[in-house]
Amino acid sequence: MTSEVSGPSVDTVESLMKEAETLKIKLEEERQKLNDVTLASVAERLEIINYMNIKPRRTLKGHQAKVLCSDWSPDKRHIVSSSQDGKMIIWDAYTTNKEHAVTMPTTWVMACAYAPSGNLVACGGLDNKVTVYPLSLDEDVTLRKKTVGTHTSYMSCCIFPNSDQQILTGSGDSTCALWDVESGQLLQSFHGHSADVMTIDLAPSETGNTFVSGSCDKLVLIWDMRSGHCVQSFEGHESDVNSVKFHPSGDAVATGSDDSTCRLFDLRADKEVATYSKESIIFGVNSVDFSVSGRLLFSGYNDYTVNVWDTLKCVRVCLLYGHENRVSCLQVSPDGTALSTGSWDSTLRVWA
Amino acid sequence: MEPDKEKCHRPKAFDKMEGLVREMQDAENGVPVRSQKLFLTSIPSAFMGKSHQAHHRLHLGYDLIEWLMERLSIEESEALNLANQLCQYGYFFPVSDSKNLVVKDDSSLYRFQSPYYWPYANKAPDNIDYAVYLSKRSMRNKQRHALDDHELETLGNLRKNLANKWDFITIQAEEQVKLGKVLKKGEKIISDSQERAYWRIHRPPPGQISSLEQCPVPPRSRNGNRTKKRTVEDGKREVDILKASLSRTRVKVSQALESMVQYVETYSEYDPIISGTQPSNPWVSEDLTYWQLNSPLVEIPTEKRVKRWGLSMEELVSDPTGLQEFTNYLRKEYSHENIRFWMAVNDLRRSAQSQIQRKVNEIFEEFLAPGAPCEINIDGKTMERVHQEMRSPSRFTFDSAQDHVYTLLLKKDCYPRFIRSEHYKNLLAVGIQPTTKKRFFGFGQQKKKTSTSSAPNPALLQQQQQSSQPCGISTGALSKRRGSDRSLSGSAHELAVSGVRGGDNRVPHSHSQSNLSDIPYRVKKPGIAVTSGASTSEDVCPWEAHGPEPRSRKNSTQMDSGSSASDICVAVQVAAEVTDPKVKKAGHLPQQSTMDGGKSSRKLSAVCCIEPRRASVSVPIDRKIFEEVSKVPTPTPAPTPTPPVPNKSDVDNKSEEICRTFRKSLSVAGAANAPTISVSSATDDGDVLQEAGADVVDPKVDGAEDEKPMEERLSAAMVEEEEDEEQDHKRRTEPEVVISRLALAPLAEPDSESPISELPPEPNFLSEEAKSNDVCPWEDEETKCNVDGSFRKTYTTLGFL
Repeated sequence: MTSEVSGPSVDTVESLMKEAETLKIKLEEERQKLNDVTLASVAERLEIINYMNIKPRRTLKGHQAKVLCSDWSPDKRHIVSSSQDGKMIIWDAYTTNKEHAVTMPTTWVMACAYAPSGNLVACGGLDNKVTVYPLSLDEDVTLRKKTVGTHTSYMSCCIFPNSDQQILTGSGDSTCALWDVESGQLLQSFHGHSADVMTIDLAPSETGNTFVSGSCDKLVLIWDMRSGHCVQSFEGHESDVNSVKFHPSGDAVATGSDDSTCRLFDLRADKEVATYSKESIIFGVNSVDFSVSGRLLFSGYNDYTVNVWDTLKCVRVCLLYGHENRVSCLQVSPDGTALSTGSWDSTLRVWA
Repeated sequence: MEPDKEKCHRPKAFDKMEGLVREMQDAENGVPVRSQKLFLTSIPSAFMGKSHQAHHRLHLGYDLIEWLMERLSIEESEALNLANQLCQYGYFFPVSDSKNLVVKDDSSLYRFQSPYYWPYANKAPDNIDYAVYLSKRSMRNKQRHALDDHELETLGNLRKNLANKWDFITIQAEEQVKLGKVLKKGEKIISDSQERAYWRIHRPPPGQISSLEQCPVPPRSRNGNRTKKRTVEDGKREVDILKASLSRTRVKVSQALESMVQYVETYSEYDPIISGTQPSNPWVSEDLTYWQLNSPLVEIPTEKRVKRWGLSMEELVSDPTGLQEFTNYLRKEYSHENIRFWMAVNDLRRSAQSQIQRKVNEIFEEFLAPGAPCEINIDGKTMERVHQEMRSPSRFTFDSAQDHVYTLLLKKDCYPRFIRSEHYKNLLAVGIQPTTKKRFFGFGQQKKKTSTSSAPNPALLQQQQQSSQPCGISTGALSKRRGSDRSLSGSAHELAVSGVRGGDNRVPHSHSQSNLSDIPYRVKKPGIAVTSGASTSEDVCPWEAHGPEPRSRKNSTQMDSGSSASDICVAVQVAAEVTDPKVKKAGHLPQQSTMDGGKSSRKLSAVCCIEPRRASVSVPIDRKIFEEVSKVPTPTPAPTPTPPVPNKSDVDNKSEEICRTFRKSLSVAGAANAPTISVSSATDDGDVLQEAGADVVDPKVDGAEDEKPMEERLSAAMVEEEEDEEQDHKRRTEPEVVISRLALAPLAEPDSESPISELPPEPNFLSEEAKSNDVCPWEDEETKCNVDGSFRKTYTTLGFL
């Protein structure tokens, strides 16, 4: 990458765009050469999942406005959620009790995340900042809050990369950034998207140094955290990519987009391998997540529903109704026993 | 709330909605028109101008729904949801209800909105437009156009805020009223209703969220082009990325997908949503046992968890208990510096920036410096790189060394050895096997069936209410839509078809239904996680007595196949329950006979409890001993429910023998073995590997659950020829299994007494059995008998679990 030393050069934006176009065509040809089979046909031998007994088991009421983001605690029963009115709530989802409620100095807290230790949460949104709150039952959590990083636009997503000491953020300024929690130092920034980054996810491997991001430029990029370089990119969506999740195997990513489809991109085949859509589904997808085996993909839509897809057979298994407004976020619990959903109807639900 | 943002970013969904709505209004294939006749009074057909024809049409709710169902081949519930979305976005609206944008699946009437008023058709309206609209209405007939309270209030506020423009607003409003008067009556009604519906969407009454609202983030409020202006730098970056992608090696799609399918198949077993949880899903059953058994660090992991470690090294080291066991094992082999180095580097990578320098040095001093206390064995090239990196220490300084250690030493050497080791096999053998519970215990919160006669506690009640909340699942079978007799209120048969909704649901499709669980379509199919309502097995109480029952897999073939076995157990348990508490001890006997495998193995374990600690000097040596011993053929105890006694003493003798051998060899080992370094132990192990390989077969030979491909591969070669020998061998090793595990477990106290006497007297065990029985809190069982009865029924319909 020579982006830092652009300087005066013969390249113009136009010529580069043209070059990019021809490269894209070539790339697509290369990919097609190895495209010998469809996922559904490979999965033919599997049994159909034709029945699921997933029901709402908990309803978490307490937010006064739209729930925008939520994250499971590693302890498998706590949830942190953030909402439009600037509140962040820590729930014991099992008992449905609220353990902390924090008021942020901003509205639209669009991202929140639990640290791997379970002792720390981070959140942020229209304030362009990522702020961490150490959780303690003894004192007011806000007393020990700490602003870690600041973007030049809203912060849309954040995640702790297997460590309480670092946080990875995505922003409306079209970059992602890795911050040192203690010092607030920017450890690495990630340039490559040409529009707002909406979503990021870490590769499942413990030692993994890669993460994936989805953006309003319709691209899905895979990044090397250490070098800051984009190592792979996927095109295909026709609108904003709102959500992206690594397949538990680490070899694929699923995406959800405003174009009302979810897609599966395989990293080794280097291409899209499945699209999950139906004619009757016309609203955007806000959030996707896999069951722990990767067989099921849950996706939350603007039409208030959650669709459950059989990722391999590429068919819908069932629809979950319950929310009374858009499903804004959704996540399978760390041990896979439950699914949490958050909605603009200001509630969260836990399904199992 | 922030309606002026609407114009900015038009989501794709609107194109799709508009396409659909246009189709719906198609004269021939659209939604049938039923209106004119019904509403002659309000819309005299004479007034229907051709140009407005489409807007004069009224439609019945169920026609809309039916059309959507047919057009999109979807179920009714989905169609209803979709129709409601279209209504929420203002593509059509209820004629008789200007407050609620709700589509009912009945004969209520709906009118399509004029495309002029569609969302995004024009610039989003501003407050002046709204003020004009409100003042216009206030000027007109009070009866028909009176403002609602909130509208009046808004009008007042607007007048204050827009005071300087108020004259203009009033003039506009008067103009519009005048224009309106020119319209024919029918047209007036229509345009009034459409305008009203429009404002209902764009200025919803307080407390209601406009479906048009979006996140007010800056780029979304920019018009049109939302991608940033591209710079040369961006262009270069993109070209670079593309060039890199072109040279990337990729695999055939078929290959990639095949491995994905395989992965999913392998892990389905561990996916609670697909395969269920044992003993039960805490979210469903209100019983925390599953979480207790599977906490990050446990004394005795479940068998399933141990099995999972066998899938890949990543599985092993990502589980804290797995990592701990692995480390313990390697420590025994004097080769745990590798795993320690690996952990230290992981920790380094995740450390705070301020700690990096210090930690880099620490790691170097401990693992890499010449003569370091825990020097790891890496090749010169890697070492060179480390030295280079050390000049500018960073969190990535040791990445190359870590990679080397991980792939070459840990993954290719230590891990496979661990998986083949006695240590692992023993873990597997003693692993807890929680079964679906068969009955209720007094502890913990439990959810009871509604039919329970005993008084439910308040927490449970609350829980139940929660779980019957609005929700719905609709799957597969799309049953025929009901006939023409449509009730206005949504109906039971509809529910039966389309899943659950109801309760406090504001949204249209709200029907309250409490008896849903009785509806036949929910009949459970096997194979999917449905632990509805908890049931408890005696495996749940293990920590009350001993560690969870280490069930010997070999003997308990009839126990192994979850369903059938547990069915038997149910029967036994029920039998035991029916007899009253006094007879309980006796009642326990039949059970013992079905489970003798488990019991005897536990006794076995008791016998040897002391030895392991001392024996753990060197694992390879242990193994050899076992091998030797195993060559002495011994009668394999029959897996049938023979009384455990002869069986046990038989094995006891043997194990005693082993112990003795142990001690003998120990002295030898102790002398020779002290500072054996990992290298030697590794080669040492090489010899043993062959034989040990066979051990891995456990699951297969046992005919237990499906084995992992990994193990299969490892073992396949050995299985056939060594099966017999292995049977014996396993028996031999059994004691050791428990050894380390149980010895660690503080809960195993009652057992740990007996080994001291080396040959524990028989009755001791029996009494202990009885004791454990007493501890288990099912004293109040009789009161729950009918619960169990009813539960068992459900259980059998589940077939599996």
